[in-house]
Amino acid sequence: MKSGGERAIETVPRPVLALLVIAFCLQVAWQAWQPRPTARAEALGAPASPAALRALSLGEPIALAQLLTLYLQAFDNQPGVSIPYRDLDYMRIAAWLGTLLELDPAAQYPLLMATQLYGQVPDEARQRLMCSFVHDQFWRDPDRRWRWLAHCAIMAKHRLRDARLALEYAEAITRGARRASNWARQMHIFILEDLGEIDAATVLLGGLLASGEVTEEKEVHFLTERLKALEAAGKSSPPTRK
Amino acid sequence: MDSRITAIARYTLIEAMRTRLPALVLVTLLALLASSFFMETIAVVESNRLQAGFYAASVRLASVFIAAIYVLVSLTREFNDKGLDVLLALDLPRSHYILGKLAGFLAIAALVAVAAALPLAWFSPLPAVALWAASLAVELAVVVALALFAIVTLNQLTPAASFVLAFYLLSRSLTAVRLMSAHPLTGADTLSHQLMRFMVETLALIVPALDAWTQTAWLVNEPAAWSAILPLLGFGALYVVLLAAATMFDFYRKNF
Repeated sequence: MKSGGERAIETVPRPVLALLVIAFCLQVAWQAWQPRPTARAEALGAPASPAALRALSLGEPIALAQLLTLYLQAFDNQPGVSIPYRDLDYMRIAAWLGTLLELDPAAQYPLLMATQLYGQVPDEARQRLMCSFVHDQFWRDPDRRWRWLAHCAIMAKHRLRDARLALEYAEAITRGARRASNWARQMHIFILEDLGEIDAATVLLGGLLASGEVTEEKEVHFLTERLKALEAAGKSSPPTRK
Repeated sequence: MDSRITAIARYTLIEAMRTRLPALVLVTLLALLASSFFMETIAVVESNRLQAGFYAASVRLASVFIAAIYVLVSLTREFNDKGLDVLLALDLPRSHYILGKLAGFLAIAALVAVAAALPLAWFSPLPAVALWAASLAVELAVVVALALFAIVTLNQLTPAASFVLAFYLLSRSLTAVRLMSAHPLTGADTLSHQLMRFMVETLALIVPALDAWTQTAWLVNEPAAWSAILPLLGFGALYVVLLAAATMFDFYRKNF
């Protein structure tokens, strides 16, 4: 079709104009009259296997993982039927998060959701399940995922009141994440101290200082003072209730 | 109906027959049916349900694709062959041309919907299939009216096809978009979010939420009540009228 510009609106017959205006007004009125959409509280389905999802992603597994992450996040966040986290099937949540990490191993979002969203539910069993999930995932890429396990260690110590579990996570960071921050790699020493295992804490702290891994002057000073206090008093703080 | 509108509609139908549209629809239906039988054979449980679900969902998309592309290509050919110029030189109001074309395309949409629904009669109860077919016919009517509007307004095949595709995808996902924008996890009070939400809600006033139409669940679970379908049919008819009016408005303003 040749396009030689447009003719004036006056060339449009009045019935056509009237029909357009009336139909448009009716359409908008109809849509405005409709109730707002409400979501249904359906059970969260099991995720497809990572291999199947990778095939479905048409070569864009990261984009698909990001979309599915938003889907999972929005699942319990529906207007009208907001589902409390404690009502969700946490085994299935863990399966979804694991699948998302399989599709996009560099992503931090699923681990953030595990620790900061699903891990915040006031239910000890579910908190432990999320921490266990993070612990499992940590070993697949310790240098990139240590901060989430560190969060779980703190959660285990202060919220779950399970210093042994906190120690297990802290030791995993020390052993596995060579590039983790010093505070995270030293965390197990202070947990040991809290547990009353002063001798072990003293040995580990002395070893850390002797290894030369800590180079910052103020940090060396702080740790040295701490070591002296441990050696002198035998115990610097009362053990945490286990 | 004016005899000139009827004549244009009739020739639109004849054109569809002569450009092998029925053969294309038939081959597509057979291919999807064969695929659904394959799915049925590999399923361990609920094989009939799986077969009906797969066929219904895939034939819906295929029907929309075929109907939209057919309208776009048919009009593009008419523009390029100068058949339209000849018609406009006759004593024929432009609105009659659009109404005739639309009537022909609506008839094609209805025939495609019936053809697509026929195999479902073997998998699902007849009332459910009738509901599903009626909904698909209205959905296809909206799609062909939209395609007609797009090609008349945009003139070129590629932008018109892109517009129809984008519009359809948005229509199918609009409810999800509204749900997500209504309750974000963070930043609900920020200006950008408020602006975005306002845009989404405004869009919802103009774009039909096609995700609620032609649902596979009607076939494999409980069929919807006719009382629930009638508003969809009414809304579909209104939307076709709106698109037809918009198409006529644009067509009257074009210089040839």
